Amino acid sequence: MNWRDQHYWLVVITGFLAGTLGVLLAVWGNPENSGICVSCFMETSAGALGLHNNERMEYLRPELLGFVLGAFVSAALLREFKSRGGSAPLARVFAGVLLIVGCAVFIGCPIKLVLRLAAGDLTVLSGLFGLVIGVGLGLRGLAHGLHLGRTRQDPSGSGWLVPGLFLLLLVFYFVRPGFLLQSPYGGAAQHAPGWVALAVGLLLGFLAQRSRFCITGGVRDSFLFGLRAPLLWGVIAFVGGALLVSLLTGRFQPGFYGQPGAHTDLLWSGLGMLLVGWISALIGGCPFRQLVKSGEGDSDAGLVVIGMLLGGGIVQSWGIAATSSGVSLAGKVAVLAGLMLVVVATLFLREDA
Amino acid sequence: MLSRGLFDKLLWLALLLLAAALVVVVVRATGSSGPSANKVLDKAMERAMTYQSRVALIRELYGPVEVLLQAGQDQSALLKLAEIEKTYPGEAHGQMLKGSIQARLGAIDEAVASYATGVKLRGDYVDKENPLSWRVEIGRIVETGLQTVSARLATNPDNRTAKATMKQLYYLQSRLAGGCE
Amino acid sequence: MKSLPCPSFPRQHLLFAGILLTVVLLFVACKGEEQSNTVYRIGYMNCNTESETIARFGPLTAYLSEKTGLKFEMVTVNTEDFEERFNQGEFAFSHTNSLLYVILKERSGLKLLASEKRGQFGARSAGTIIARKDSGITTLADLKGKRLVFGPFMAPTGFVAQYDLLLRAGIDPEKDLAYYAVPPGSYKHEKVLYGLLYGQYDAAAAPALDLEVMTREGKIAADDFVVLAQSAIIPYCTFGVGSDVDAKVVAKVRKALAELTPASTAEFDGERVKVLKAAWVDGFEELLDSDFDPLREMAKRAKMPPYEEY
Repeated sequence: MNWRDQHYWLVVITGFLAGTLGVLLAVWGNPENSGICVSCFMETSAGALGLHNNERMEYLRPELLGFVLGAFVSAALLREFKSRGGSAPLARVFAGVLLIVGCAVFIGCPIKLVLRLAAGDLTVLSGLFGLVIGVGLGLRGLAHGLHLGRTRQDPSGSGWLVPGLFLLLLVFYFVRPGFLLQSPYGGAAQHAPGWVALAVGLLLGFLAQRSRFCITGGVRDSFLFGLRAPLLWGVIAFVGGALLVSLLTGRFQPGFYGQPGAHTDLLWSGLGMLLVGWISALIGGCPFRQLVKSGEGDSDAGLVVIGMLLGGGIVQSWGIAATSSGVSLAGKVAVLAGLMLVVVATLFLREDA
Repeated sequence: MLSRGLFDKLLWLALLLLAAALVVVVVRATGSSGPSANKVLDKAMERAMTYQSRVALIRELYGPVEVLLQAGQDQSALLKLAEIEKTYPGEAHGQMLKGSIQARLGAIDEAVASYATGVKLRGDYVDKENPLSWRVEIGRIVETGLQTVSARLATNPDNRTAKATMKQLYYLQSRLAGGCE
Repeated sequence: MKSLPCPSFPRQHLLFAGILLTVVLLFVACKGEEQSNTVYRIGYMNCNTESETIARFGPLTAYLSEKTGLKFEMVTVNTEDFEERFNQGEFAFSHTNSLLYVILKERSGLKLLASEKRGQFGARSAGTIIARKDSGITTLADLKGKRLVFGPFMAPTGFVAQYDLLLRAGIDPEKDLAYYAVPPGSYKHEKVLYGLLYGQYDAAAAPALDLEVMTREGKIAADDFVVLAQSAIIPYCTFGVGSDVDAKVVAKVRKALAELTPASTAEFDGERVKVLKAAWVDGFEELLDSDFDPLREMAKRAKMPPYEEY
């Protein structure tokens, strides 16, 4: 490790802040162990926009908006905003849907996996295992020639669309038009004060764009570069920060049972995260990273984000999302179908040597 | 035929006009009063009213059961619930009331099952601030249940009934702990 | 290089070991064969009529045969003959009410296998004493000098629980009532309720389960009567097994019963029948023998078998 590398410290600080703020957001009002959870936020935001009818999951999460817009501001300030894309666009929409499917079956994205672990929720261990295996399989697929096509500079400016959309959503958040739904009760009714959540989202989006912070990226880089990988240290700092705040706030309750927003179908947790890890490795980042990349003009990531929003609606409407009582039949079928799709893609979308 | 430069200027003008039109439309809509103003789609309000109606219906429907319970007529209350269940078979509130009676009468396994069914049907009962919240009662049955069922399992580790009840107790415990359901 | 000496093993020892192994294997195989040829009989207590018992529990018996791979046969037995026929070894498994289970446990070493789930208390039920809403009877004390109808004498929630309730309320059914009766013939439980509703009696000892079932079926309304008292909940109908039955067989049967779901079917009388639906049962539970203690206390106070006093 090059301890004098500024980028390394930026990654570590980003990870640490993400971990601490992730737990603090739950202290300030977000659901337990869900201070930051891209998949949960996607589901509730989809509900707010009327994409599903679960009355308990409707709230346009300002953190999500902050991630994209914070990244946009960072990229714009540093002149890193480049409208680019064109690599397997439709596949990326489906990838976004499947990312949410995997997360919904696990009940959480890779960031929430770490937050739950830092709170002592041992049921995530199978998910962690699945995530690591999934990233490994994705890397193996890439090494064997799986290629989604090159990303090119996009003169049409489609990279502006997703930041533009999220800006519009931010306007909706403040203006509160009649079609925007908000749950009076349930998980979506639990939220940190809007300004706080937005500020945290903007800060983390900004820092994540600068540092390229990504949970699955950290796992991927540990496979490729071992302990030298800055992203790995960023993930470790994330875990450390989250654990520290969990302990200080008395939220650390180790155990398998009675954990908030968790089920004990360990096999399906593992498979859900396997799907997430695998896809994340193929498309270049976890759900959080996709949001950040879309903010810096990557329209491929933007399509993944659109897919994730759609997925947020689908997993609630079709009963795919798991609950504390376990994984539904629809969830099991969806995860298995998603894994089959990824396997087929890995087998048949290879570039000839 | 339009030259490129002229075409571009026309497009910019069109953009400005459209933006102005948008502003005018929005400002007029927000500023206007009278019947047309009330036609704005307000799903949030509709949702809130639907919820309030449900709460009122539950209070009316299960009112006789609550009266019997207050008079200590647990069995009669159970029979009344059985009658209501014929008309409203999937109603969560009936399950919660049944669970509380079963708990009072010492049928812990059945009480836990009823509460779990009720909470799965509607998560309102585990909310902290909800007119339908039953957090206290659920917390009580979880505490009692964990003690008694754990003791049963300690002496009879293969008892399937106890294992099934334990699973449902953990589910209720998890719901009480929170999460984004 | 010298090779290591190979110890010579006498051929006779090898032959002897081979014969011994063969004998052991044959014994084990025969034991298995014997087990698979054994017919296990289940004695089912008749609640109402023999034909009803066969219709209810025939599919369950067939299911046990299919699921366990063992041969089961059903034997229908009247309540008053049950203990004698069990002790004569006519059947190894029993399906009885909980009082008969207690009697057979205390006197004949019967072991608990599984308990039937039915109704709002699962594998338990309670006994109630009820009166018509318009009768003016609102407490147990009001029953003095009145006419009461009980269910069958050996019914835990049709007689024992209610007799005990009266004793604990300071009412001696033998002295303080005008009279009490038990309906004749079959379907005593239903006759108890209709006898009350149609004015033959002032109060009735009704199992809570019967009240629940008849309310659900619309045969009675919850507002028709008032519940004067209700006993503690006690186990309902129970599967038992003789102490000399192979533990592996017992485990198989217990597992088969526990795995029954509403969708489980069995071949009975030429058709595929839903087992639980035919049996009028929601499933089976594993209670503990100590769960029967409240019934034991009731039987002791009421001086019912196995605690009768002469």
